[in-house]
Amino acid sequence: MKKFKGIRWTAMLCLVLVISMLTACSTGNTSSTGNSQQEGGQSSQAAKNVKLTFFNTSAEVNTVFEELFKKYHELNPNVTIELIPTPIGGAQIQKFQSLLASGNPATIANLDAGTILQYKDKFLDLEPEKAKYEELTKEGAVEGALLDGKFLGIPWSAQGYGLLYNKRVVEEVIGGPFDPSTIQTRDALEELFKKIEAAGKAPVMVHGADWSLGAHYLGLTYSLQSDNVDENRKFVDSLMDGSATLADNPQFNGLIDTFDLLKKYNARKNDPLVADYNKDSADFAKGDAAFYFMGDWTWAVIGTLENRDEEFGLIPVPISNNPEDFGNTQVAYSQPKLFAIDDSGSSAEQQEAAKAFLEWLVTSQEGQEAIVSQMGLALPYKDVKVTSTNVISNAVEQYVDQGKVINIGVINYLPQDYWSMTGASMQKYLSGIIDRNALAGEVQAYWTDQARK
Amino acid sequence: MIKKNFLRNTGTFLVFGGPSIFAFIAVIVIPFFVGLYLTFTSWDVRTADTAYIGLANYIEVFQDKVFLGQLWFTLKYVFFTVLIANGFAFFIALLLTSGGRGEQWLRTGFFTPNLIGGIVLGYLWQTLFSQVLPYMGQKYGWSLFQTSWLTSTNTAFWALVIATAWQLIGYLMIIYIAGFSGVPTDVLEAASIDGASRTATIQKVVLPLTIPAIVICVFISLSRSFLTYDINLALTKGGPFASTELATYHIVQKAFLSNQYGVGQAEAVVLFAVVAIIALTQSYLLKRLEVES
Repeated sequence: MKKFKGIRWTAMLCLVLVISMLTACSTGNTSSTGNSQQEGGQSSQAAKNVKLTFFNTSAEVNTVFEELFKKYHELNPNVTIELIPTPIGGAQIQKFQSLLASGNPATIANLDAGTILQYKDKFLDLEPEKAKYEELTKEGAVEGALLDGKFLGIPWSAQGYGLLYNKRVVEEVIGGPFDPSTIQTRDALEELFKKIEAAGKAPVMVHGADWSLGAHYLGLTYSLQSDNVDENRKFVDSLMDGSATLADNPQFNGLIDTFDLLKKYNARKNDPLVADYNKDSADFAKGDAAFYFMGDWTWAVIGTLENRDEEFGLIPVPISNNPEDFGNTQVAYSQPKLFAIDDSGSSAEQQEAAKAFLEWLVTSQEGQEAIVSQMGLALPYKDVKVTSTNVISNAVEQYVDQGKVINIGVINYLPQDYWSMTGASMQKYLSGIIDRNALAGEVQAYWTDQARK
Repeated sequence: MIKKNFLRNTGTFLVFGGPSIFAFIAVIVIPFFVGLYLTFTSWDVRTADTAYIGLANYIEVFQDKVFLGQLWFTLKYVFFTVLIANGFAFFIALLLTSGGRGEQWLRTGFFTPNLIGGIVLGYLWQTLFSQVLPYMGQKYGWSLFQTSWLTSTNTAFWALVIATAWQLIGYLMIIYIAGFSGVPTDVLEAASIDGASRTATIQKVVLPLTIPAIVICVFISLSRSFLTYDINLALTKGGPFASTELATYHIVQKAFLSNQYGVGQAEAVVLFAVVAIIALTQSYLLKRLEVES
């Protein structure tokens, strides 16, 4: 009997546990419905306590954003912003989709421009804000952020890429100051590479990851067709319907000719697909390679290294021997991430608060301090009160100020998997498994396959 | 009275089994059927479209040559992983039950990889394969390790197998040790009195008596290696040039990168069927080998 009593007690305990678990779930529910009621009733009670959520795909700077949210809350006690973090490099879009699918979208989303385009019906049209931001930003920044002609995302960071160079190494080899504008043709680049190799250094580092090869290098093919994004989109369309072929496209062939050169002088040519991003960046920063096909974002790795060189710059990837050709004096430039405001489940108060917060973020001293110095990003705004420590993005800025940029906006309209699919073909080419014809064939096949879908 | 007992038994069962059943239904059964339903629609998060399209997704799956190739690759991978992991686990367990010194420490050591998450483990082996081994290979002239194992399809395949097996061995070893302790000592003594050699004892006595442990181990290693995703992601990212993508990796890419949710989900169902058929067949066949001591 005593034993039986014991069982009973355990059973009771279990029941209590189960019930408490279930009620815990349900209290969670009621509190959230309570919240939304509160939000609904807010319009009558004037602007009181607005709660915003912020979905962030720039996972490496989560903490910087959180600090900003706290600061903004101190300045505006009625606005609370909560971060929805994502893991670095993985499952970001999945999380965004699940929030959307469960009817619980984030008020503000920091997303790749291409992702915003895909979900364009879910975001608020910022047309009324456009004039203000055109006033605030540098020439072309708003233009570059338009998606299908609509202003859906506020630009806040700009990135550029090309052939980075280690100033000390190059200057030691040529025995004097290096003027990047002397390299505007493939032959000039090869000559320099030969000198560097003769001096016993590796001329160039080619990072073997699919995103670098597929999106950044091969992706230039689509952006180099013209300086107009719409023309470039038409080119991609003609690849899909087969009216244009890559194999006889001058830009593609020019790029691959230069790629052959990079391949020949590659510091990693014995094992080109190792693709260890940290190691490649560090070796370049320490002077083991003179050039590096990469962008200003690599400062996040280089900037904190010990025993690295101090000065770096960048030059465009030359695609021909005619300095006049488009691309030989321009560097690739884009605004990869935009702030978009949700329009599928957020109240008008939330949207207004989100707009105010975003404007504060890009114009206030605190916001600029965070973006420029702490995140090390270039802010495409006219009145930036903070100077950047990122010497590579400063070098990009110089090209921007001279208007020497390739607008790579066409990538926003490409299918999401183009970089991994065509990047795999580039990896095969880099490691010598396929030749140029097969490469052109595989990439072309990818595009014609897209037309079928 | 019988009815009262029945009620009480049901009550007790519900108290103890209820929460698990509830959780099982909520997170396994319902999502499974919802997922199954979604494979018959043209579901897309972006448009919230759920039009019924019949078997079109499945037809697409069997026309997806990449997926079929990937499935074959997965089968090869599973075959070698299960073979190597179980082989090593069996003999390590055998060694660690023979009464040597420091057995407890060694058991702990072999089990440790199981406590490391797949992602961390993948990065660990990635550093080993792409940095440590090539460094040593170049220093000492070992031609096998001069270049990273992760940059060619063949070696990357073996890298995946080794890393997964390494993780699994400890876990399987524990089950085998439990299995061996179930072998009655009198049978072993009888064998030794009869003058059976060590190999003969293992072959004729230990092996048949540990069939239940083998069934469990093969089942576990089969299902675990079929569903490997984390190690694949961290170790090779499906590379070089997408040649080491396991089926699960391909499914995730298909659904979330190429935005073909329906097809991806249908591929997941196909993979489920393959795993279920193979796992059930093997346990049915192996169970027939069971003997009574």
